[in-house]
Amino acid sequence: MSSGRCAACRYLRRKCTEDCILSPYFPSNNPQRFVSVHRIYGASNVSKLLLRLPIHVRAEAADSLYFEAQCRLEDPVHGCVGLVFMLQQQIQAAESQLVKTRVQIAVMKSQAQHPQPREAESSFNNPFLRHFDNDANLSFSNQISSGFI
Amino acid sequence: MSSNPSSSGGSVGGGGNCSGSAGGGGGGGPCGACKFLRRKCVPGCIFAPYFDSEQGAAHFAAVHKVFGASNVSKLLLHIPVHRRLDAVVTICFEAQARLRDPVYGCVAHIFALQQQVVNLQAELSYLQAHLSTLELPSPPPPPPPQTLIAPPPLSISDLPSASSVPATYDLSSLFEPMVTQSTSWAMQQRQIDPRQFGGTGGDLQALARELLHRQGSPQLPCTDASPSASPSPPQSLSK
Repeated sequence: MSSGRCAACRYLRRKCTEDCILSPYFPSNNPQRFVSVHRIYGASNVSKLLLRLPIHVRAEAADSLYFEAQCRLEDPVHGCVGLVFMLQQQIQAAESQLVKTRVQIAVMKSQAQHPQPREAESSFNNPFLRHFDNDANLSFSNQISSGFI
Repeated sequence: MSSNPSSSGGSVGGGGNCSGSAGGGGGGGPCGACKFLRRKCVPGCIFAPYFDSEQGAAHFAAVHKVFGASNVSKLLLHIPVHRRLDAVVTICFEAQARLRDPVYGCVAHIFALQQQVVNLQAELSYLQAHLSTLELPSPPPPPPPQTLIAPPPLSISDLPSASSVPATYDLSSLFEPMVTQSTSWAMQQRQIDPRQFGGTGGDLQALARELLHRQGSPQLPCTDASPSASPSPPQSLSK
């Protein structure tokens, strides 16, 4: 008879049978793992949950239960949902920064393609500005002639 | 995803008990928790303020199935009264997530969001590098690949701990559509069976909206029947 009980059975002070559902996921060398899970979920709930799952996913389920239990113990109010909030905030910040960077790139490209946007506009595309452009040219030529520039 | 909260009376929320007091057992009948447990709802019932007799029983059923009434009761007793509503909201959220995805529960959401953060940061790094090259007289870098290099798959051990979470955040973000979108995106990126993540959010988000709607008016008597009012974002929480 094996004298090694799993952490769950040791904590619960019961005999650890060969088909103990908790034994593979709560080894005796990590008692705190089961303590955390038991405090939040209870051994019975954990056993029922694992029993409902295929064997090949039970380890992941036990790990996620342990993770959530730890989060809840560290933050009894928010548990692991607090991490959801934090990550959502990070996503928002990153998306905001992405938008800004894309705008900066667009501006840089625009400036590279049209180094003198004013001149191009006033000359041909904007009749309103064309009028002023003529005046501006006159004014400019006057300034040149007057030695202002 | 529906952005409208449930039109029925909020099942969870402060002050929503029919008796108008903090406890049940008055003339208004048992709270949702005691109704589910088929026990007498005594005055001062710890669940009464948060699980009304209508939909509260259904929500409590999920909580009881995952956590157990006794464990939740002990948990709430160790939390200050003014923080218990928030705790109930998150507990219900986790319970629903666990029922939808018995393997990963709420961790699936965290995985999906973390994947999204990593990819966004990678894209940001690329664009910032691109921006810096635009300022230099050199040919621009080649166009970005159609798909960024996929980050290595995450494992539960890679997840941060709750202690690394900032002290303040808004419960209203629980029902941000991005949670569902990020999950779908994550499923595409990781090429994992969608059943592994389960559906995230329609019911969860409706639940969160109900809870927050209640939180917006914790002192209202049970006769408050204004669930159709748009939920106001709760105040930022602080530890």
